[in-house]
Amino acid sequence: MSGIGYEGPYRVRETLVEAHRIAWRRIAEPGAWLDGARRVAVAAEVRAAEDCALCRERKEALSPFAVKGEHEATDLLSAAEVELVHRLTTDPGRLRRAWTEGILAAGVSEEVYVEIVSIVCVTMVIDTFRRSLDLAPFDLPAPVPGAPSGYRAPGARRHDAWISLVQPEDVVESDGDLYGPTASPVVKALSLVPQAKRDYWDLAEVHYLPGSEMTNFATGVRAIDRMQIELVAGRVSALHQCVY
Amino acid sequence: MLRASTEVSGADFDLNAVTGAATGDGGIEGGTLLHAFAEAITLRDAARTAELRGALVEALGEPAMIDAAATAAAFHGFVRLADATGTPPEGAAGGQVTMEFRDSLGINDFYGARNA
Repeated sequence: MSGIGYEGPYRVRETLVEAHRIAWRRIAEPGAWLDGARRVAVAAEVRAAEDCALCRERKEALSPFAVKGEHEATDLLSAAEVELVHRLTTDPGRLRRAWTEGILAAGVSEEVYVEIVSIVCVTMVIDTFRRSLDLAPFDLPAPVPGAPSGYRAPGARRHDAWISLVQPEDVVESDGDLYGPTASPVVKALSLVPQAKRDYWDLAEVHYLPGSEMTNFATGVRAIDRMQIELVAGRVSALHQCVY
Repeated sequence: MLRASTEVSGADFDLNAVTGAATGDGGIEGGTLLHAFAEAITLRDAARTAELRGALVEALGEPAMIDAAATAAAFHGFVRLADATGTPPEGAAGGQVTMEFRDSLGINDFYGARNA
């Protein structure tokens, strides 16, 4: 298919359609640490991971880190970056701190790591939504020329996560709009690279709930109520073996 | 979040349903269908997903089916974001996720909890 739209038998709410248009355009544009071509290459590897024999073997193994083999570098991504994309796409519930440290030791900076995670998550959300409606995935966008901004949040520090993040009290003006009145751990996860954080959350809040509704357990902003939303969320999380 | 929303609504929902250890809709309208829909999407079972799309549209309406699909898709991102960054579960859901609660649901038996 070409273009970003919602053909087919179901009427998709316009806020979702617009969020997908923006997210897909953002993937093609220069980010903070990756240019457009490398960002699109990450999205392409998310899809390639589905047919990766090594990923399949690891996924089926009782001990995924015991399976020998390495992913190969591509023209635009290093072998460690491909490993990050593939394993995060295919087996996220069995990642370990040592694995993340290995990716960083192989030369992937924390900033690049965070930006890649953001792109993987955006791609997974949109591709999964379209698959759930039996729609073909969007064509990958054409990269937009330009240089990355190189922005790292100056207040970012290592706390109790595996990657540096910004606590609300360490936000500075140049970070832009980063947090609302509250910031749960998962909201802070990508804050090292504020644009990567916004790219993911701008999409996720349209899919799930706006930040202002997160603690409103009687919210009526969606066509299903909060219990129904959380039932779906809980089942997906449990099937992924997500401990968060 | 599910526990908090059921407490607010007064529904008598068995939270073990999310890990597959309990069945039934537990007082959540369309709960059995929504549970199965989330599972079919995650397991990439196209035929079952299609079947449940139709059933959900019939039971709850098309906008509800769309929002269920949107939520399921969103959590394909949330879980990866949390797992890739080692986001600590302490503080999740407004700090309601205690070790005892996680243990009661079997979450502490997940690979990530055993190999943290």
